[in-house]
Amino acid sequence: MLGLVDRMSPQTLRILALVIVLGAVILFFAAVVPNYLNGRLFNRVSSSVAIMALIATAQTLVIITRNIDLSVGSTVGFVAFATGSLVTNNPEIGPVILVAYAMALGAMFGAINGVLVAFAKVPSIIVTLGTMALFRSALVEFSDSKSISTANLPEWLISFPNTVLLQWGQLQFRAGFVAAVLVVIVVHIALSRLRAARKLYAIGSNPEAAEMAGIDTRKTVFVAFVLAGALAGLAGFMFLARFGTITVVAGLGFELKSVAAAVVGGVNIFGGSGTVIGALIGAILVDLIDTSLVRWQLVSEFWREAVLGILILLAVAADALLNRRLVAARQAREHRRAEERIAAELAGRAKGQSA
Amino acid sequence: MTSRKTLGLTAAFMMGGASIASAQTTLEAGQEVDMVLLPKFLGILVFDQANEGAQEAHAELGNPGELLFVGPTPENSVAGQIEIMTTSATQGQGAVMLSNNAGDQIAPAAMAAQEAGTRVVTWDSPIPGGEGEDVFVAQVDFGSIGVVMADMAHSILGGEGQMAVLSATPDAANQNAWIASMQEALEGDAKYAGIELVDIVYGDDQAEVSYNRALSLVDQYPDLGVIMSPTTVGIQAASKAMQDEGLCDQIKVSGLGLPSEMVSYTMNGCAPEFALWDFRDLGYLTYYTAYGMATGQLTGELGESFTAGRMGDYTIEEDPGRPGSKRILMGPFTVYTAENVEAAAQ
Amino acid sequence: MAGQPRHGAIEVSRLAEPILELRGVSKSFGMTLALTDMSLALLPGEVHGLVGENGAGKSTMIKIMTGVHQPTGGRIEVDGAAQVISGPQAARALGIAAIYQEPMVFPDLDVAENIFISSASQGLWLRRGEQRRRAQDLIARIGMAFDVDQISSGLTLAEQQAVEIARALSEDVRVLIMDEPTASLSAHEAAQLRRIARTLAGEGVAVVYISHRLEEVFEIADRVTVIRDGAHVSTRPIGEVTSEGMIAEMVGREVGNYFTKAASTATAEPALEVAGLTREGTFEDIGFTLHKGEVLCMAGLVGARRTDVALSIFGVAPASGGTIRVNGRETAIADPSAAMAAGIAYVSEDRRKLGLAMPMPIRANVTVATLGAFLSRWGLLDAARERDAAEAFRERLNIRTPDVELQVGMLSGGNQQKVMLAKWLNMEPDILIFDEPTRGIDVGAKAEVHDLIRAFAAGGGAALVISSDLPEVLALGDRILVMREGQQMGVLGAEEATQERIMALATGQATLKEAS
Repeated sequence: MLGLVDRMSPQTLRILALVIVLGAVILFFAAVVPNYLNGRLFNRVSSSVAIMALIATAQTLVIITRNIDLSVGSTVGFVAFATGSLVTNNPEIGPVILVAYAMALGAMFGAINGVLVAFAKVPSIIVTLGTMALFRSALVEFSDSKSISTANLPEWLISFPNTVLLQWGQLQFRAGFVAAVLVVIVVHIALSRLRAARKLYAIGSNPEAAEMAGIDTRKTVFVAFVLAGALAGLAGFMFLARFGTITVVAGLGFELKSVAAAVVGGVNIFGGSGTVIGALIGAILVDLIDTSLVRWQLVSEFWREAVLGILILLAVAADALLNRRLVAARQAREHRRAEERIAAELAGRAKGQSA
Repeated sequence: MTSRKTLGLTAAFMMGGASIASAQTTLEAGQEVDMVLLPKFLGILVFDQANEGAQEAHAELGNPGELLFVGPTPENSVAGQIEIMTTSATQGQGAVMLSNNAGDQIAPAAMAAQEAGTRVVTWDSPIPGGEGEDVFVAQVDFGSIGVVMADMAHSILGGEGQMAVLSATPDAANQNAWIASMQEALEGDAKYAGIELVDIVYGDDQAEVSYNRALSLVDQYPDLGVIMSPTTVGIQAASKAMQDEGLCDQIKVSGLGLPSEMVSYTMNGCAPEFALWDFRDLGYLTYYTAYGMATGQLTGELGESFTAGRMGDYTIEEDPGRPGSKRILMGPFTVYTAENVEAAAQ
Repeated sequence: MAGQPRHGAIEVSRLAEPILELRGVSKSFGMTLALTDMSLALLPGEVHGLVGENGAGKSTMIKIMTGVHQPTGGRIEVDGAAQVISGPQAARALGIAAIYQEPMVFPDLDVAENIFISSASQGLWLRRGEQRRRAQDLIARIGMAFDVDQISSGLTLAEQQAVEIARALSEDVRVLIMDEPTASLSAHEAAQLRRIARTLAGEGVAVVYISHRLEEVFEIADRVTVIRDGAHVSTRPIGEVTSEGMIAEMVGREVGNYFTKAASTATAEPALEVAGLTREGTFEDIGFTLHKGEVLCMAGLVGARRTDVALSIFGVAPASGGTIRVNGRETAIADPSAAMAAGIAYVSEDRRKLGLAMPMPIRANVTVATLGAFLSRWGLLDAARERDAAEAFRERLNIRTPDVELQVGMLSGGNQQKVMLAKWLNMEPDILIFDEPTRGIDVGAKAEVHDLIRAFAAGGGAALVISSDLPEVLALGDRILVMREGQQMGVLGAEEATQERIMALATGQATLKEAS
């Protein structure tokens, strides 16, 4: 076990710490909520986290470059609505085109953010605070007070997220969740293996040095926003498929939840480090706490938000502490080993001299 | 079950009250007055329907003035409503027709508007304390909504079982009043003795929150029989959740919903019955009331009676739910079942 | 040490065509003329020393060569053809790279990732194994050895510079500009870096070597260019230059030996008494007494933990054990404000991180620690009095700036250092800790800073000076405390201290008894 810990990268250690915290949270609620641990819990959280996982992934891409995107919630809402009205009016449109449409629309919104942040050099928090309101108002205008309703959507779309692909005892792996996890894994592989993805980390890690190293920071930040927009667009499609009903409030509050999920998942809010797998676990943790709190009788409706906030802070603190411990323990062992190695070397040398 | 249950009892009783009042006012058309129709926020279908009704009345009365339909964006509802109220007063609007989402927080702005000569007529959702409000146009008797919801639960559960409520926000005045009246009905009538109200949760009128809350209820109360949701967003999200999880056999959804949005769930049995009133009519009646008051043809006295075009005669009376406040009761409303929902959804 | 021509390669390369040539380049920022008619030719295989006072225009030259700035006049030629270097990317593509005193690494990325971050020519996917191997090769090629998988934030400065050099090498660098690369390195590390520079030159790279340590320039350079006030003064083979002549050209006048030993003003009255100061895993059992009017220098190699001791006295990272007495009274210092209240100030080594607010004007930086003294009757800041104070310091410290409203970030390193000194002198502290006060600043400014420290002590202040520059330590210190890896190795009196004895202690080759 210790040997395993020693071989893990800091990022992997971080994820290990998160998984431990996740386990602790589950045990805690299992102790205070009757009939808590069952397959249903998994099914609930996994279906519900599918959308937030995509948005947290989008948010992570942007945060890694030392930026933030507060307009993701509005993007999700707009895309969900626009995609819904497209398919309502043209029921013959197939899944591939619809998904492409949603992602392209999201990417377009991301491009607006990207141009303003990367090329006009306006701080991202200001840009996206503006576009958050702008995209939401655009939705109010575009929707003309109509809402998308399940009745007008094609059957394949509505049944997609809940199609059970794999059943293992009570645990159901549904298409929505599986699709989201696949996307997260693809983005994870891209981030960790693509040469170009290193540039995102480099810019967030040290923007000045990135410029000096000849990285086109403007283009890279722009691309990060466009990709985040496309992922938010995909989340909008998933939102449409899952809820069917889209009103102008769709996606309200997702921006802060996604930031919370990313930060809980160990993404450095100042950029430069973090993984989307972490963000996925962060999203799961936030969703799990949210879902479980409703079932915890002790906490009334009015205190729930506050308790949610406190539990998120506790989870972040526990994770940070645990992570530090794991890293410190590993360093101590490495140090000891290095000392032993040097001692052995010296002993060998002494022997050589005496010989 | 009848195809269209019309709850005329309350309304008929109120009509009786009208005869005590003084002379019946017929509003004189063609007077010029600018008015504002202010919904909770923009982008919700029922509010647009109310606007259609108000525009109909506006044309019918030949008002050369302007009828503005303005509202805040969803994330800014409370502050936006207060701001629009204040702006309307400074613009010297004749009347503001408000579906209040700001609780009593809007009262100071509304009182200031009244002082500036703007009449404040609320509809759909009143100002809870009644301050700053001339009259509330109630879609139905709030007490009777409670009874109807209790009746629907009774019919779905067969008289015996657990019920949970999925409401909008914890401080929505109309939903809270309806839930309270339902609780009163459940306690007051032995007929409902077998129905147990186990919990009240809030979905914030957002599809995803309501959806998740509905599922949490299922997890928490294994014997739950019906989810009662007095909000159009909540009832639809809950129905979708039960359908997605294949729970429609165990747990039914009921409450207040739009036929066009609910038709598939009613037909497949997830939401066998639900109720609603006509928001076009509500907008129409509200416009008549506000027009009458803004042009000085109505004073807003208790007992005052007038004719609201195609909808007939109405009387200003004391609001039984809010002592000291005045209301005009529209009524009746409709219970939808598999037999009438498809026609209504067209 | 100037004199005989050494590097045989230079005779060959002199015949070669220059790789990079500046011809009559000028650059102005608004009204300020930073460079005028600057010419410089860099030959393959040479180490080209570039010297000049702070503010002489060296940084601007580097920025023009690396594409950060565009020249306002003149032209740049690469391989004899005129080129526009439109940005850092374009410079890299032409094989021009720079490394700095404060290395530009990405703290969150590992060594291998740092090295290959900007190489675009290697396909879509990262090949970790190959990347790692090549990183190891590059590190080995420049004679270093460390784990290329570790995260860069844990590297020493020398290792970070090695990473930057390796990055340049990975891109087939042809012109490598080294800007004060050894200013923060230990003697051993500096020697290693100079060796790397020679190796690269041997491979045909043109190395531009900028340093304030003139002895270093004499050791390594084939040719040396002196610039002053944004203009070219001279370019000569190193054999034709003397140290005195070079300094004269840099400052434009003859200067005396700046390492003259000033008379001690130390009294017997203790200002700061430290006993048994310990922070676990960092330093242990540090004990000394600093008297009023005294200058106590702390010597040691990089990693001796001198700065950590200073930071714990200043309350940034309080010690876990030991006592601190200020003016005879035991004082608990839990944070910097407690230290400041006790009359202790700290002039940071790292101007950027701990010392100055770069985007703020000089005026605001000078007064930021003592704002309470600049309030008007209504409790508002009195900008006029702030200006007066800043102006006074500008004259006293000879800060070269047209205006005290200029952003500190716009000043040269030496002048930034002076602003930082002004900030703390303005507090009128009893005890002032100077951490590497002359690091990376030129000869003239060094002498000025020494005078300031002396004047502070002469006025009854107690000065604790951390310095890695041994001649400076010897010239400045009334006594010298030597540390090694968190241990106090001993305190030497000025009369008994020599470079050799200090080094013997600092490297652990002798204890105080053996050394004395």
